[in-house]
Amino acid sequence: MNGKIKLIIDSDLSDVFLIGLSVNRICLEIPVSEIDAYQIEVCVVEAVNNTIKHAYGSEKGHEVEVLIDMDVESITFHICDTGKKMETGKKPTLEFDPEDRENCPEGGMGLFIMHQVMDEVKYSSSQGRNVLALTKHF
Amino acid sequence: MLMRLEIKKSGRVTVVKSLENRMDAKVAVDFKTEIGRIVGKGDRWIVFDVSEITFVDSSGLGAIVSSLKMVGKEGDLVIAGAGETVLSLFKLTRMDRVFQMFATEKEAVDALAGS
Repeated sequence: MNGKIKLIIDSDLSDVFLIGLSVNRICLEIPVSEIDAYQIEVCVVEAVNNTIKHAYGSEKGHEVEVLIDMDVESITFHICDTGKKMETGKKPTLEFDPEDRENCPEGGMGLFIMHQVMDEVKYSSSQGRNVLALTKHF
Repeated sequence: MLMRLEIKKSGRVTVVKSLENRMDAKVAVDFKTEIGRIVGKGDRWIVFDVSEITFVDSSGLGAIVSSLKMVGKEGDLVIAGAGETVLSLFKLTRMDRVFQMFATEKEAVDALAGS
């Protein structure tokens, strides 16, 4: 099955669930498990949340685009914005002592989750347009 | 948006059940506020029943972690009824090693009642 679709929401956290529901429904049409479909949905939602919070500073009134490109062996999500560029560095880790409750992380888990779930995570920025590409092979 | 929660007491244990099926950035702050209200009344043994939740992201997970810290060392916040998908996120982030997880609300309440 091949196809492309572009989803656009305003930079409003209240609307992100619509992207999530759409992604999950589309993922039910590709040969991945229910758990994989959920985890892919989480990755895209995390990426959109990060865009709203960091690229746009939680300011409403900006567009967040999610382009979904599906072919017979993979699905790629391009999360696009025209806000502040993300600082990229080493692959994120999530290191903490589960016995030490007080120091368990309450945030900063999104990129780690994306790297754990997706097969490719690539970020690019050109002429004011930032794109985070998440690819899952199946 | 106010997160829809059902709250009841069972002895010293407070059961907080989500009536929302998504625990995400939209409801995370409301959840923390509600737990803060419960802890502020002196109730520190909390079962969070997530059986209706089909989607949690890191914002939701972070709110649950924050809530665990609120109950402090003289209490506990445990998870009941996590479905396979939600459980997978706890495992992915190793949060299944931070929280006690129970299959049912009853098992969770029984465990905290006897702690």
